[in-house]
Amino acid sequence: MRRRPVTRGRKAAAAREAPIYPDRELTNMPPFKDEHVLLIAPGSQMTLAQLGLPETFTPARFRFPTRMFPAQKEGEYEPYRIRERRNEVKVGNGNGAPKSTPKEDVEMKDVESAGQDAAPKPEGEGAEGTEKTEEKTQVVEEILYEEDVTTEEGAVYPIQDGRIVDWPCFYALLTHIYNALSPPFHTPILMIAQPVWSARDREAITQFVFEKFKVPGFSLMDSALAACYGYGVQTATVVDVGKGKVDVTAVTDFAVNEHGRGIALQGCGGDAMTDRLLEMLGPRGFTREMCEQLKRSNITEIVPPGTPLPGAAVTARQGVNPATAATTGADGNDSAPRGPGEGTQTGTETNGEEDEGVLDVAAIVSGNTTEYLANMEKDKSAKKGGAADPRSKLPNNKKEKAAFQFEEFVPMEEESAVGGAKRYMRHNREIEVGAERFLLTSPSQQIGDRLSSGILEDIATQIHHTILAVPDATKRSELWDSLIIVGCGSKVRGFTQALLGVITQKFILSPSATIFTSEIPSAFTTPLPTGGTNTPATMGQPGPLYHPAAHGVNPLLVAATHNNPGMVAPGTPGMDPNGTTHYRSSGHSQTPTSAKTLRLPEYFADFKDQGNSNAPGASVGPSGASQGGHGTEEACFLGAQMAAKVFFVLDQGLTKGYMSRVEYNDNGPSAIHEYIL
Amino acid sequence: MNSSNPPQAGEYGGDEVSAIVLDPGYSTTRAGFAGEDAPKSLIPTYYGKYNADGQEKLVFGDDVFVTPRPGLSIYNPIGKDGIVEDWDMAEKVWEYSFTSRLTGAKASNPLHNGLNDISNDELPTDMEVESDEKPLADSPLLMTEPGWNPVKAREKTIEIAMEKWGTPAFYLARSGVLAAFASGKASALVIDIGASNISITPVHDGMILKRGVQHSPLGGDYISSQIRALFKKNSPQPITITPHYLISSKTAVEAGQPPQAKYKTFPAEKAPDATYRALLEERTLSEFKECVVQVWPGPNKLSATGPTGVSNEEMARSSPGRPFEFPDGYNQLFGADRFRVVESLFDAKAAILDSDSSFPTPTQAQTLPELIKASLSGVDVDIRPHLLGNVVVTGASSLLYGFTDRLNHELMQLFPGPRVRISAPGNTGERRFGSWIGGSILASLGTFHQMWISKKEYDEHGANIVEKRCK
Repeated sequence: MRRRPVTRGRKAAAAREAPIYPDRELTNMPPFKDEHVLLIAPGSQMTLAQLGLPETFTPARFRFPTRMFPAQKEGEYEPYRIRERRNEVKVGNGNGAPKSTPKEDVEMKDVESAGQDAAPKPEGEGAEGTEKTEEKTQVVEEILYEEDVTTEEGAVYPIQDGRIVDWPCFYALLTHIYNALSPPFHTPILMIAQPVWSARDREAITQFVFEKFKVPGFSLMDSALAACYGYGVQTATVVDVGKGKVDVTAVTDFAVNEHGRGIALQGCGGDAMTDRLLEMLGPRGFTREMCEQLKRSNITEIVPPGTPLPGAAVTARQGVNPATAATTGADGNDSAPRGPGEGTQTGTETNGEEDEGVLDVAAIVSGNTTEYLANMEKDKSAKKGGAADPRSKLPNNKKEKAAFQFEEFVPMEEESAVGGAKRYMRHNREIEVGAERFLLTSPSQQIGDRLSSGILEDIATQIHHTILAVPDATKRSELWDSLIIVGCGSKVRGFTQALLGVITQKFILSPSATIFTSEIPSAFTTPLPTGGTNTPATMGQPGPLYHPAAHGVNPLLVAATHNNPGMVAPGTPGMDPNGTTHYRSSGHSQTPTSAKTLRLPEYFADFKDQGNSNAPGASVGPSGASQGGHGTEEACFLGAQMAAKVFFVLDQGLTKGYMSRVEYNDNGPSAIHEYIL
Repeated sequence: MNSSNPPQAGEYGGDEVSAIVLDPGYSTTRAGFAGEDAPKSLIPTYYGKYNADGQEKLVFGDDVFVTPRPGLSIYNPIGKDGIVEDWDMAEKVWEYSFTSRLTGAKASNPLHNGLNDISNDELPTDMEVESDEKPLADSPLLMTEPGWNPVKAREKTIEIAMEKWGTPAFYLARSGVLAAFASGKASALVIDIGASNISITPVHDGMILKRGVQHSPLGGDYISSQIRALFKKNSPQPITITPHYLISSKTAVEAGQPPQAKYKTFPAEKAPDATYRALLEERTLSEFKECVVQVWPGPNKLSATGPTGVSNEEMARSSPGRPFEFPDGYNQLFGADRFRVVESLFDAKAAILDSDSSFPTPTQAQTLPELIKASLSGVDVDIRPHLLGNVVVTGASSLLYGFTDRLNHELMQLFPGPRVRISAPGNTGERRFGSWIGGSILASLGTFHQMWISKKEYDEHGANIVEKRCK
């Protein structure tokens, strides 16, 4: 690890920032700088990490698969699958030369040099910075490709359903990430905490980070809160759809409501959808990997409840042995089968996506943008679904069948014959699926452990439970109207709409039940009585309550309002000894009268991408492969960047956003709870 | 410290681990670290049991409300009077309450709990935790108990804490006393309106006055039974509560119209049983209590006549009703009835009779005013005025709208002489978790060390030491 002396430049920067907080002692703690902040967001599948805060916040630069492989030595872990042979062929960078040096060293050197390049750059040159970053990413990715991509045999997954199940492995992963990014000493870390982590877990992580990495500052931020930061709201219901679990959290005024929180709801995440697809398509020869990629493909869609499905319910046309029969089928709407050689693994994907991604800007500027884009989309789907088929002009959810690109790694045989080291290439082929692709959230056939009616209903029920458990009843309506849905599981097309559909079906109150209370302007929905009044709930309400705009909607209610003789509150002299308000648990209305999702602020262009991209091979684990299209589902990471900017750089610890090393030394790891956000 | 230099290893000298406060109630169990202002962990004391793959499975925590399981049935280890009946399960539920959010399943690894030096270079990687490690091996524990907890139950509690959880130090405190502490009072008359019980606890100088402790079953569950009785007699048609899990979708209907919902059906052998349905109905009922139910604020009973000659019931009727929609979409306006369901807490004659109810018709002696009277008559005359000047209201059911107003009127009528002052926190959390918060305060005091029973003392004297030390 390199040591870097404090430069004059940094001191000067510190002095420049000093006047903002004159009471801070600069000698004690030089301020942190943007490029030194390390962000880590561990997840069950991928751990996102980034060193430095860019000018405009972007999706995480590094994605480490959350798994390690046992090393030769008992109890130690390696990030790659260790093979016995030393002369491995590096497929990733294409040179194919045998390599004798250990991989770890190679990577360290590469990253370090990239880091050194990036370090001296003056501030304000954002463009250059990002360019450098790209380069660095490339380097790491290429290295990562060289692992044995075909199998994850023996991999240890330290996080399952958000829980840390293997601590040594988790620590090894953190160490690997830290070393890979090689931050300077004056680097604070902000880590996104999974809701399921217990208080002791958080203490253990805090202790590890301080004692192993010797960080000057550490912050553990709850993932739900991070999502709120990302969206820039202080009250919201955060639904995090992960790999194997879903977390539902009500955040009010930047405070996480622990009570009633839906923590690690099992069997509701992305895996559950894959399992359901496998259940339907498995008998037709689909493997789990195929279902996983089908789920990620853009032909898969969750349709809102009650939408008629095209064609018969089960129409998958798939050979018994898809690996060979695949899409060479006789039907006219298949394009020619794609043979090997089209998608050899050379870093970039060659399945024609690249040129499709280039938009004709002139056409957009001159013409009707949406029309143009819609046309492009159609062209694209036409290409995918087979250009000859007129039905392919239909929107996806009207098409009876559609095909997706299945990508897999196929050994190149001639290579394996020669050197003994196997080479793999990416191989694309099309697989056609029927209406099953709309049914991935439907309830499973066999009743297993749960009488679920599909994961959407489970999530909706949990949202209802969570919001109902929020003690401040006046906030509940706002919580229903501020749903934030994050997590890669929510990337499936139509997920959000379908979830809102289920909520509407099950929980939204009919207007007649809420005419009294829900239509009061927001100024009246916080009807906390002033001290000492004994006015019963409904009597103290101001005028609008008695004259609901919707007269005639409900004769019963109108009758009730008009019979009101304007009764005087049976007031008694103020007797509340504290003179404070009595919390009223009555006098608020039932919720929800509506349910809406929030929109991510538009000024983060990189987070606009609304998921649904086919990220081929991501589940196979060509680890670190840049998966295009990370959008709103990673709002947590956006929030983490914002929080890091605020806590570490802007206010220098005044909000107690992070725990400094001094505080750690004084109070020990358990003091982290005072800083947990 | 110049942070550009690597910090020295082992600078951190270790800090003592904060105690865990466990406040088990009939409806919910609260657990958290001492010194915090709210329990981190709040779980239902109810747990679920079902069979899957031929083996019995248990469900703890909020999951019982969210996920219906095949053949699920619901139990509560605590009896109606607030005393534990099923010790094995009580232990499991309580253990879940602190392991799920606080301590994790096992005690933290000795290498990571900050109590051991760790070498500079690397953390040792062979971190094998002893498999018989107990969940509370490094946390002192403070537990609460109702004022009428029998000796046997107290001894059993310390036995579980010491033997099963391996806590190094233990203390058992009365929930009433702790609620008084939470309000910053050493002497108080604590009125606790819980789910299964209402109780009156006189506290003097931090000590419980046992002769004055009174309790009766007219708590939140009783109010629920009154609401059910009301629904049964509802016109135009009786209301049945269909919990959300039985409904697949609903359609908006006009008030008072029969519901139009699509129901779910489960195969008979897979359907959760009646106890599960009752638990989920209870969720709807608590929403009803929050949104609709109101305590007649007084003065005087609902059945009495007001100062203007108009009967209170007439007044209640003339106030605008409050609408409520049930999970199946049925909705209705509730008028004066919403006052009646809680009136019997103060006036036994006002109880809505229901022959199916599991609660016997309340007697006047069980009502709040009578309990308070009985409680005060059990304590020394000299301290009665002092207690009346420090009435502490706690418990979630006391959050019923208008409750403290009515209580104040009742107290002023009962005791016209001395000054009555009610102290009821305005914050819902402080009201619901009064005794937990008191425990959090007590266990974070420096003097807690002198109070607790250490493992060594327990080993020496046996479980009976709890009688001597935790008075």
